[in-house]
Amino acid sequence: MIRTDALVLSNTAVAGDIFLLRLRAPEIARDAAPGQFVEVRCGSTLAPLLRRPISIHRIGPRAAGYAPDEIALVIRVIGEGSRLLSRLREGDTLDLLGPLGRGFRLFPGTRRVLLVAGGLGLAPLVALADEAIAHEVNVVLLGGAETACRILPPQYLPPEVEYQVCTEDGSLGACGMVTNLCPPYLEWADQVFVCGPEAMLPPVVDQLRALAQGGRRLPVQVSLEARMACGMGVCLSCVVETRHGLKRVCRDGPVFDLTEVRVW
Amino acid sequence: MSLAVDLAPGREPGLRLRNPVMVASGTFGYGTEYAGLVDIQRLGAIVCKGTTLRPRRGNPTPRTAETPAGLLNSIGLQNIGVRALVREKAPIWAKWSVPVLVNIAGESTEEYAEIARILDEAPGVAGIEVNVSCPNVAAGGMTCGVDPVLAAEVTAAVREATTLPVMVKLTPNVTDIVSIAEAVVGAGADALSLVNTFVGMIIDINTKKPLLGAVTGGLSGPAIRPIALRMVYEVAQAVPVPVVGVGGITDTVSALQFLMAGAAAIQVGTATFVDPNTAADIIDGLGDWLEREGISDIREIVGAALPKDA
Ligand SMILES: Cc1cc2nc3c(=O)[nH]c(=O)nc-3n(C[C@H](O)[C@H](O)[C@H](O)COP(=O)(O)OP(=O)(O)OC[C@H]3O[C@@H](n4cnc5c(N)ncnc54)[C@H](O)[C@@H]3O)c2cc1C
Ligand SMILES: Cc1cc2nc3c(=O)[nH]c(=O)nc-3n(C[C@H](O)[C@H](O)[C@H](O)COP(=O)(O)O)c2cc1C
Ligand code: FES
Repeated sequence: MIRTDALVLSNTAVAGDIFLLRLRAPEIARDAAPGQFVEVRCGSTLAPLLRRPISIHRIGPRAAGYAPDEIALVIRVIGEGSRLLSRLREGDTLDLLGPLGRGFRLFPGTRRVLLVAGGLGLAPLVALADEAIAHEVNVVLLGGAETACRILPPQYLPPEVEYQVCTEDGSLGACGMVTNLCPPYLEWADQVFVCGPEAMLPPVVDQLRALAQGGRRLPVQVSLEARMACGMGVCLSCVVETRHGLKRVCRDGPVFDLTEVRVW
Repeated sequence: MSLAVDLAPGREPGLRLRNPVMVASGTFGYGTEYAGLVDIQRLGAIVCKGTTLRPRRGNPTPRTAETPAGLLNSIGLQNIGVRALVREKAPIWAKWSVPVLVNIAGESTEEYAEIARILDEAPGVAGIEVNVSCPNVAAGGMTCGVDPVLAAEVTAAVREATTLPVMVKLTPNVTDIVSIAEAVVGAGADALSLVNTFVGMIIDINTKKPLLGAVTGGLSGPAIRPIALRMVYEVAQAVPVPVVGVGGITDTVSALQFLMAGAAAIQVGTATFVDPNTAADIIDGLGDWLEREGISDIREIVGAALPKDA
């Protein structure tokens, strides 16, 4: 993990208020694992003050069409910090701290993975898709959002991925919550990875419970979000309740086994 | 050129730092977390997370929120407890050249003394910072830091319980910080550190509720710097012991302001989250500044801005 000034290679509006930032950051590209994140300094003044946690979306050495020293981030504009990031231009530098946290664990025997993304929960799952593809694992990615302009268009994903989308307002793909798309794939997958709003977890847990009654126990990993201040495990801002007591999302996570964080 | 300072000159072996730049409690964990990123052995000293007699779970989340040039936190002293600290952390510190102070908080005077007694025996502990100033806990913490009599009682009890250097950390949430400072020094504090955070809050207008799980939190960061500086300036004139300045320090210029206001040393807190190397950069910056100014000893500038007749 290092602090580095990454070079902005491009910044593209990919959908509505979502931007794809390609960066040259050789050490991070070399060391990062899917599911890890960086802490980004959004400006150089005292406001916004704190760094913002942003998932690593593509890791150069594994991502088709990327140089080995590149990483990518996807940013959704929320407030001042993300607005500043959305305005970066080619040639600017971006102060990063990372890679941080514990990423996803793809088991050696896994052949089929299901990735379930709510909103920009998609960001780290694409790095995992790249990794899975490199290991010749089949990938289904289910992506859901409130509305069409929050959905990442398929041309930004590796072509090997089977990508299904849905929106809450029905403006693109099926209408409803992304978790509605899961059931057929739960029969198919060896491992499931979930990233998105907390509200996605109860339906997933219900589906898994039904599956478990039929004798099928599917390993599920979930990436959590929390308010962070340090991102380094020192401030104890980002804690979540787990089976083993309070854990720090930034250091012990952001990826946890679902059974760690939800009793079912 | 010398950057060295002694924060407990009246005591053997004192609390000698190779430079006056410390990292503040609650913002540097147990020192190990930043070790891969920062050359921690260069620091003047490390103050570890606030430590209580028994482990504490801390407050409900959300525990932090950003405000203009500031950070609100209501961590609520989540920590592993002093016995686990002595077992698991102090042995690591014993191998380090950088001194580590343990920040302690009790729910009663007896508890403060008990924690100090346990630490007294521990190798790897260079001193105690007595936190009578945490705004985020119901019992103990700030309640004893706002009352000169209670603050003095706690200080005397800790002083009695240990031969380690004792630094008392003051809360700024008082009408007259000088009277608290005088009471605590009268009770035997070797040094004072100030300030802890200012009680504040933030409201989420969408939910129409306070954003922090604990409703209020402590404000830190550049937003508090001028107030912290004024308090250091007042206290440094009133007490004969070393004062350590804390609050919104982000760079060499702000560190120099605190030294000139009478601080013998400074602590960097929130700024470490923004740039983990802030403290190390300030150490370099102070050295460069002294050299440019042709000053050979950092102690020459301590209190440079105080009234001359003080
Ligand atoms: C592990 C992790 C990975 C993330 N990955 C991405 C990503 O890949 N792309 C992306 O666009 N966003 C991501 N986020 C969310 C992102 O951090 C916030 O959207 C961003 O901090 C908002 O900052 P702002 O200044 O624009 O908004 P403001 O609302 O003005 O921010 C104010 C404060 O609230 C915090 N905050 C606001 N929203 C969130 C949130 N959802 N989670 C945590 N803290 C928040 C900010 O960090 C900041 O301290 C991630 C969050 C976490 C915890
Ligand atoms: C997240 C966080 C946790 C803190 N925890 C403690 C603590 O345990 N004990 C303590 O005495 N002060 C604690 N503080 C206060 C700092 O040590 C320091 O006094 C304060 O933040 C002001 O300095 P700053 O503006 O440089 O951050 C904490 C501050 C923050 C931001
Ligand atoms: S954000 Fe500081 S401990 Fe996780």
